[in-house]
Amino acid sequence: MQKINRNVVLALLSLTSLVFLLFQLCYYKFYLSQKNGAAFSKVRGSQSGQDSTRWHVVRKFLGLISSHNIPVYLIDPLILGLVDKDIEQIRSSPDGPSPECKYFCAPRDFTTFALLDKTWKHDVGLFRTAEKMGFQWLKIINKDPRLDGMDDLSGMEIPLHYIFKLASHAIHLVVFYERSGNFLWHGPLRLKQHMDRKFVPFRKLHFGRYPGAYEKPELLLVSIDDLKVQIPKNPSSFLEEMSHSRFLECRYREARAFFQLYPDDASVDAVEFRKKAKSLLHLAALTLNNLGVKFWLSSGTCLGWYRQCNVIPHSKDVDLGIFIRDYKADIIPAFQKAGLPLKHKFGKVEDSLELSFQGEDDVKLDIFFFYEEDDHIWNGGTQAKSGKKFKYLFPKFTLCWTEFVELKVHVPCETLQYVEANYGPEWKVPVKTWDWKSSPSNVQDNGVWPIDEWDNVIQIY
Amino acid sequence: MEEWKPNPPVKPHKKRSWYLAWKYKLMNQRALRKLCQTGAVLFLLVTVIVNIKLILDTRRAAYEEEEESAQDYDDEMLNVEVPRHPVNKKVLDVEVYSSRSKVYVAVDGTTVLEDEAREQGRGIHVIVLNQATGHVMAKRVFDTYSPHEDEAMVLFLNMVARGRILIFTIKDEGSFHLKETAKNVLKSLGSQVAPFLSWRDMWTFVGKKGGEVYGEKHAKSPALSTWGDPVLLKTEVHLTSVEDAECHWPDTELNRRRKRFCSKVEGYGSVCSCKDPTPIEFNPDPLKDNKVFDVPVAVIAGNRPNYLYRMLRSLLSAQGVNPQMITVFIDGYYEEPMDVVELFGLSGIQHTPISIKNARVSQHYKASLTATFNLFPDAKFAVVLEEDLDISVDFFSFLSQSIHLLEEDESLYCISAWNDQGYEHTAEDPSLLYRVETMPGLGWVLRKSLYKDELEPKWPTPEKLWDWDMWMRMPEQRKGRECIIPDISRSYHFGIVGLNMNGYFHEAYFKKHKFNTVPNVQLKNVESLRKDNYETEIHRLLGEAEVLDHSKNPCEDSFVPDTEGRVYVMFIRMEQEADFTTWSQLAKCLHIWDLDVRGNHKGLWRLFRKKNHFLVVGVPASPYSSKKPSSVTPIYMEPPAKEEGAVAVPAVAAAEQT
Repeated sequence: MQKINRNVVLALLSLTSLVFLLFQLCYYKFYLSQKNGAAFSKVRGSQSGQDSTRWHVVRKFLGLISSHNIPVYLIDPLILGLVDKDIEQIRSSPDGPSPECKYFCAPRDFTTFALLDKTWKHDVGLFRTAEKMGFQWLKIINKDPRLDGMDDLSGMEIPLHYIFKLASHAIHLVVFYERSGNFLWHGPLRLKQHMDRKFVPFRKLHFGRYPGAYEKPELLLVSIDDLKVQIPKNPSSFLEEMSHSRFLECRYREARAFFQLYPDDASVDAVEFRKKAKSLLHLAALTLNNLGVKFWLSSGTCLGWYRQCNVIPHSKDVDLGIFIRDYKADIIPAFQKAGLPLKHKFGKVEDSLELSFQGEDDVKLDIFFFYEEDDHIWNGGTQAKSGKKFKYLFPKFTLCWTEFVELKVHVPCETLQYVEANYGPEWKVPVKTWDWKSSPSNVQDNGVWPIDEWDNVIQIY
Repeated sequence: MEEWKPNPPVKPHKKRSWYLAWKYKLMNQRALRKLCQTGAVLFLLVTVIVNIKLILDTRRAAYEEEEESAQDYDDEMLNVEVPRHPVNKKVLDVEVYSSRSKVYVAVDGTTVLEDEAREQGRGIHVIVLNQATGHVMAKRVFDTYSPHEDEAMVLFLNMVARGRILIFTIKDEGSFHLKETAKNVLKSLGSQVAPFLSWRDMWTFVGKKGGEVYGEKHAKSPALSTWGDPVLLKTEVHLTSVEDAECHWPDTELNRRRKRFCSKVEGYGSVCSCKDPTPIEFNPDPLKDNKVFDVPVAVIAGNRPNYLYRMLRSLLSAQGVNPQMITVFIDGYYEEPMDVVELFGLSGIQHTPISIKNARVSQHYKASLTATFNLFPDAKFAVVLEEDLDISVDFFSFLSQSIHLLEEDESLYCISAWNDQGYEHTAEDPSLLYRVETMPGLGWVLRKSLYKDELEPKWPTPEKLWDWDMWMRMPEQRKGRECIIPDISRSYHFGIVGLNMNGYFHEAYFKKHKFNTVPNVQLKNVESLRKDNYETEIHRLLGEAEVLDHSKNPCEDSFVPDTEGRVYVMFIRMEQEADFTTWSQLAKCLHIWDLDVRGNHKGLWRLFRKKNHFLVVGVPASPYSSKKPSSVTPIYMEPPAKEEGAVAVPAVAAAEQT
């Protein structure tokens, strides 16, 4: 009797656990497919339904926006990645029917499109139609950074992102704005208090964690998976650009506070110097961008951007940084061709390289080359008369875009650490006398160049 | 389990037998039984594991979500308290005070008007409240001690919608020029005292337009030299429902804007009329080949919402306007101008005022221009307008036909829609353009490169109390460049209150200005406005011009013969480039702008008299002096006596920023 009981209990338990297990599996699959379908694609049983949902949602969305004459283009990194593999074929047959749904059916939660703000009229009709088509939509607005500046302006908030949701798929529409400096900008995605935090898994969006800066893309109309859509002409370079597109605004509020404490120099000399520094920076940026050499604002120019959003009028030169791995021998001839003769060259590619070019009337362009070590980055300095070497140490940093004197340029993302390393904790206080050999707080003696190398490592013109 | 079979029906019986067979089998195969048991235990284990994993996953996902909302995607201003709407009250307590030196109005304990400034705010103060919300919709003061102000008050009261709550109170004196018409209007609102209001009486009144009276108090002045005793009126006003306070326009996007506007402000007349509201969208004809469609338009505004309303109406009615390119820049955080901007669906930007007086205007201009080029980084030009201008129907057509000159001719400083000397009696030809050495402003086009490379970096700083336009006219900025202007202005300056403006000044210098109302004017010979072509053109003109009789008085009408369509020239004395003695006298007697020198080109002025083109050449300073026949003696006119000159100086200062 007891034995039977035990068996029965066991059998019953097994049965319930079996049922439970099945239930759990189903739930688990459902839950995961909802959460991150892509990552757990192995548990996809019959996914074709899901796949075509995505395609249908994209098709509906494209229909919606074309019925309102809104030109959008595809910037979804996942799809562009797939497209890029077959780009030749897609380019050559812009109208060919595709045998299978290869791109828009790929598993993902979102499809991302871009919209250039100035190309549409903020027509509310779009959202009415969207609702009629069954879309739920969310608009994310925030303040307009183009109004940020030394003047305290406040305008209406501008739309930065739209999300259109239908069934299990969502369309993320990123609004791009033109900025002075001839580039496109998109804003960060920040939810306001009353917003539905569960509308879509925001964390998985490809755009919106940070604001971003992009070149104006050339577009190409293609037909993929039987849908006509605009894509960046060169998807791979777009994807590359996307991977480091993070944008920093200048800190205008702090800059205003700075000018409250230390009124700006409005003398004729200051105005003149700023004008020259601006045109020199524009020329340098043009030259380096043409060579494809990545550079950033360094030293005094970087401090000027960070502290006062402008060129420091008493700084007397323009300073740029370049990673030594990006060094090209063409740099010197290119600058000379642009009308900037080499003034001096210190160090060599292997060690402490520094170039200086002569701009218009005494305004000098200094280019420091940065050497990366495991836990820090440094650049070198050389004293011409003694052959003494110096080393300036910086904590590791990455590069971000910013807008400065109507130019899209790089600055270290970790600007505060960078500036503090260079100028110490008192960087907020303007200093008019500056000795590059002793004033920086990150300077170290680095020995002396061997005399026989002087001809090479100390060249003054 | 065996005992568990009290009534064995067919099915359980079958089952039972199946069970027994199975049990029997198992009994006989211990190994198999063991296996089954182990299997069951394994199942259990797997279930448990799956369960635990599920719980962990769910928790992780939930945690991630929390973290996400906490960190990356939250707006920084998470802790901003949402302002609570006041509980809908049905009754408002209204307090109104009237006295010689102070007036105030309090609604539910909140002071909505308080004026105890000396030498200011004399007359009848009027406040309009929304009958449903109790919000202040308009605040006005009419100095009915002075003439014509009562007419303005009648106009205003007529524009207020029926059902609104009106509050009146007098400060100092409000009856001297309060005429019968105005008294009747007040009477029709329910006031019993208004028809008998007299010198230095104090008076307060609260009533609903076209409805009940909530209270009225009056204190008579006992004698000419004294004022009536202060009066304080305390009363209650019953609010109506929001539904009753609104019009029932068809539900369109436009009407939603209208509704928002009309529930907030009063005094805009038919735009809020329930029956037949005036349109707020104008759809003027587009321009063919519009070269200025993508040029941003900056409207510089202060706190004159009624002006702004009139200005935007005319701007949006101009052919070829592109509302998307219009930005209104408001100097200060004033609500009503912003409401006007939103009514028209335009974008508005508010600017924290910096500095005072002229410097404040100048800083506002700088901020607005900088922002304009930031908002439209592609733009090569910007159109700059002010809130007290009417805009011609062919304003954009005029610019579209001439803007290429600004792009190509380096010797140009601006294109302006305003001719300083273009009065009713001195301007004639809508298709004619001039080059002038002065910068007229009042509706003009600015080149981005000029602003970014030259003006912005050295714009006057806030502590310099300079007028932006005077600064722009200085030789350091203008550098000898010229502006293109039309003979007949494409803008009209209607503002009579302003920083440097008053009624008398406006009457004398602006009221009679000619304003083009003809659409689609085809400009004549635009190419001749280029630097060198213009000289050829002037020489041709002077060549064909008839020399007037220099023995006559140029101020007399008979100086110019009674002809039409002829070209006449006169020569005045002008010793050097800056000698404008005779010109100023001539300008004065011709009743044109004489406060400073405007509209000249190398010592030559061009205008019309009796529909004849009338040229004035300054001899010998002007290079065109060579055209003077040797027999003609240039006319010299005496400057006025010294003391008159002294009076003129402040007038010039006042005229500068207009």
